[in-house]
Amino acid sequence: MRILQKDHRLKPVAVLALLSCTLASAQSLQRAEALWKAQDFKGAMAEFEVLIKANPKNADYRVRFANLFYERYNTPEAQKLYQEALAIDPKNARAMLGLAQILADNYDPKVNDFATKALEADPKLFEAHELMAKAALEDDNRSKAEAEADAALKINPDAIDAIAVKALMDLLVDKPSPWVDKIGKRGKGYETIAFFYMINRRYEESIDYYRKAIAVQPDLWSAHSALGLNLMRLGHQEEARKELELAYNNHFADAATSNSLTLIDSYKKFDTFRTPTGALVLNKKEEDVLKPYFESEMQRAMATYEKKYNYKLKVPLQIEVYPDHDDFAVRTAGLPGIGGILGVTFNNVIAMDSPSGRPPGSFHWASTMWHEMSHAYILSLTDERMPRWFTEGLAVHEETTATGHPDWGDRMTPEIIAAIRDKKLLSVSEIDRGFVHPTYPSQVVVSYYQAGKICDYIAQKWGEPKLLDIVHAFAKDIATNDVIRQQLGMEPDAFDKEFLAYIDKETSKTVSGFADWTKQVREMNQLAKDGKEDEAIAKGRAIENVYPEYVEAGNVYTAVADACLKKKDTACALDELGRYNKIGGREPDTVKQYAKLLADAGKKKEAIAALERLNFIAPLDAELHDRLGGLMFDTGDVKGSVKEYQALVAMHPIDVAGAHYNLARAFKADGRKDQAREEAVSALEAAPNFKPAQKLLLEVAE
Amino acid sequence: MKVLALVLLASPVFASTYLLTVAGLGGEPDYEQRFTALATDTDKILKTGSTDRIVETLKGADATKPKMEAALNKIASQAKPADAFVLMLIGHGTFDGTEYKFNLPGPDISATELAALMNKIQAGRQLVVDMTSASGGAVTAFKKDNRTVITATKSGTEKNATVFARFWVEALRDPAADVDKNETISALEAFQYAEKKTAGFYTEQKHLATEHPQVDDQQHAAAFPLLRFGAASAVVTDPAKRELIAKKDEIENKIDALKYQKSLMAPEDYKKQLTQLLIELAKAQEAVDK
Repeated sequence: MRILQKDHRLKPVAVLALLSCTLASAQSLQRAEALWKAQDFKGAMAEFEVLIKANPKNADYRVRFANLFYERYNTPEAQKLYQEALAIDPKNARAMLGLAQILADNYDPKVNDFATKALEADPKLFEAHELMAKAALEDDNRSKAEAEADAALKINPDAIDAIAVKALMDLLVDKPSPWVDKIGKRGKGYETIAFFYMINRRYEESIDYYRKAIAVQPDLWSAHSALGLNLMRLGHQEEARKELELAYNNHFADAATSNSLTLIDSYKKFDTFRTPTGALVLNKKEEDVLKPYFESEMQRAMATYEKKYNYKLKVPLQIEVYPDHDDFAVRTAGLPGIGGILGVTFNNVIAMDSPSGRPPGSFHWASTMWHEMSHAYILSLTDERMPRWFTEGLAVHEETTATGHPDWGDRMTPEIIAAIRDKKLLSVSEIDRGFVHPTYPSQVVVSYYQAGKICDYIAQKWGEPKLLDIVHAFAKDIATNDVIRQQLGMEPDAFDKEFLAYIDKETSKTVSGFADWTKQVREMNQLAKDGKEDEAIAKGRAIENVYPEYVEAGNVYTAVADACLKKKDTACALDELGRYNKIGGREPDTVKQYAKLLADAGKKKEAIAALERLNFIAPLDAELHDRLGGLMFDTGDVKGSVKEYQALVAMHPIDVAGAHYNLARAFKADGRKDQAREEAVSALEAAPNFKPAQKLLLEVAE
Repeated sequence: MKVLALVLLASPVFASTYLLTVAGLGGEPDYEQRFTALATDTDKILKTGSTDRIVETLKGADATKPKMEAALNKIASQAKPADAFVLMLIGHGTFDGTEYKFNLPGPDISATELAALMNKIQAGRQLVVDMTSASGGAVTAFKKDNRTVITATKSGTEKNATVFARFWVEALRDPAADVDKNETISALEAFQYAEKKTAGFYTEQKHLATEHPQVDDQQHAAAFPLLRFGAASAVVTDPAKRELIAKKDEIENKIDALKYQKSLMAPEDYKKQLTQLLIELAKAQEAVDK
């Protein structure tokens, strides 16, 4: 031991004392490990604490203690202890491996740096090769994954994750693998295979392998939990609950397990509505308002995709809508690339945020629904054999194409502009990595944008049907580079070059002018603040075309419109807000202001069109339905008026009587006398002396 | 609302309502502008369409303690027991655990001082709408038999700037606030409107609500007509129609009784009886309006 080597002059008594101390530490370590094994985690932790206090310079004890924390889901504490161990012993390979594992769990690409350093410290640390093999496979970098797995097996021919990675090389391309038999009775091997099926969105196969893991190792509680999560994703709630409870009751209570159980308990707050084409799961508190809009959009999307993809779904589609973003987040636990996610597709089950789950104007629910439904079709059509980038790119493309609404989808953000400026777009052969292992905070968002633009470009140059040809090519398990060669008749490098030229042409004005634009926007706002409306309008209009897609807070359109209104120049404001609306501006108050100006100018049809956009953005707004209902009634669209006033009534507005009365009027105009009478009664139940409702009741009374 | 109609009948025709609105110290230009705008809007709404309202508004540099004291003393010298008095406070407030203070340019005014000034006012019906932060801390000081107190916060410990005032002013100009459609916005209706909109504001913005409006006496607030519009008051004061109105009241009483029984009745039966009564009421109203 190092201490003994350092002091050759120790007296026998001192040697004995140190020996007894070492022996005591060894016994304490044994006790800690034994308690850990016996699942007495508190006892084990107490032993480790004593051990570390007695041996403050021992890095290995800290690593073991960290491993215990890691296993018990306390990653921050584990990370802290690994770092302390490295401070004591900078070459402690196990501490580096521990940190690499934490990075791997978060899909952080730095996992390779730490695993490499661990191998430098201990070249026989096969687990580091295994980690790198799995990280490479997550990136769909199969050659690297195989090389790392081979390296691990060279050190330890029994390395279970390496065996699993070797098996996955075959399984992911639908070939039987001789490596599967080598897993034997080790559940962890099957669990690793199941995990990779899961992140490749092949949930059925993932479930099969989690079942295999459990069959050979019934006490592999992590597999029970993961099985439960995946069963839940596919809508098998009862079996999911059993598996999750089993894991939880056996001390496997990580956040995903316990939160999923809580979520299953909360399902009583939801109702399931069967539709001709599937099912809608909506929270009871908002189902009456949302159902008509979600149902009609779901049917429209299905009809569009069936025609466009020439494919019918094999099983009914289920869309779950969560008003609480945290509930929705539970559904995505453990999946890669989920930062800021709004919806997720698990085969025939789509889970998404409700419009009430996010501040009004920040979320386009219909665009999200169409995006996810594209996934449901494409993944079903290809039996989930699709690289992530193309699935996402196509779904982004469809948000503005298949929907027939160019103003839907997402706008180019300043982060995307920065990525284009800094030449951070990835090559088509590497773009998947931007989703799975982002190297900078906004890379997932940038990758969505880039993938969408690639599909836009392909559709523009080769025609919309080419996208479907590519889908079918991917379904045959052809890799991205080969698909590009086969379907587009060019080398991937050449495609990248052409695509970047296309992007440059589309965005160069914005990218090169962005820095100056931000300065000019500030100056424009100052002019408006100083009451120099004419100058603010002139400046705003001069810079509008530099970054026309910017419609968020502080955008030019609304600033110019405000200046126009201060000058009482309604035509000028209408012009400006019209541009804001057309390019996809979504701030509800601004859109409502635009609609009001239109209505005041007698352009009621245009006002209706503007307000109808908000039904796809922020439909839980009583004022919106009230105004839409009124405008539709005035323009003779009584059926539309009925729908809007029904939504208004469902929102339990402050003016209950007024809402029922207006609905009664719309029913009457639509010739539905009985319903008109019922609504008039409801209006008068709230306000018995409401004269217009009294008059209407007498008109429709039998 | 039937309760309100009876109160109106009982009130002398010449009764006046004294309304004092004060926009306190903003502290920051944004708040200063916001408070002044709300007070200006309130002033405009209150001065429109009625001759029985005596409206005074203090804002900006005028909203000082001496001017506020002077305004309240002036009302005290004029208001009679048959009159009504409304004080609306917009701005920031503080509460130190014992005393609430309304922030003004120069010295602040405490709830105790305000209560003492209001106690000198003889108006038989009084309403205080304190829309400031920490306004819940003023309730105890303001409380009095004939006085209804509405505050933007439930206690003095809710110290963040409030949004309640914005929605209170909105209630005064939005006909939707008149939920019983009697052409009068009562204090309770305005409160419930603003309360619902305030809660909605925090829900929509995904922020934790930092204000919880409260009213100390719902019954009195329901019977406190804040704004009247339309022809409602003209009808109830017309002696020629008293018989018809009495019939109407009788039907309304039956409707109230039926509603009370709703939970005990079969839904179809309830709906049938309600429809019948509402048709009778509509016909009675038609007769009154002829």
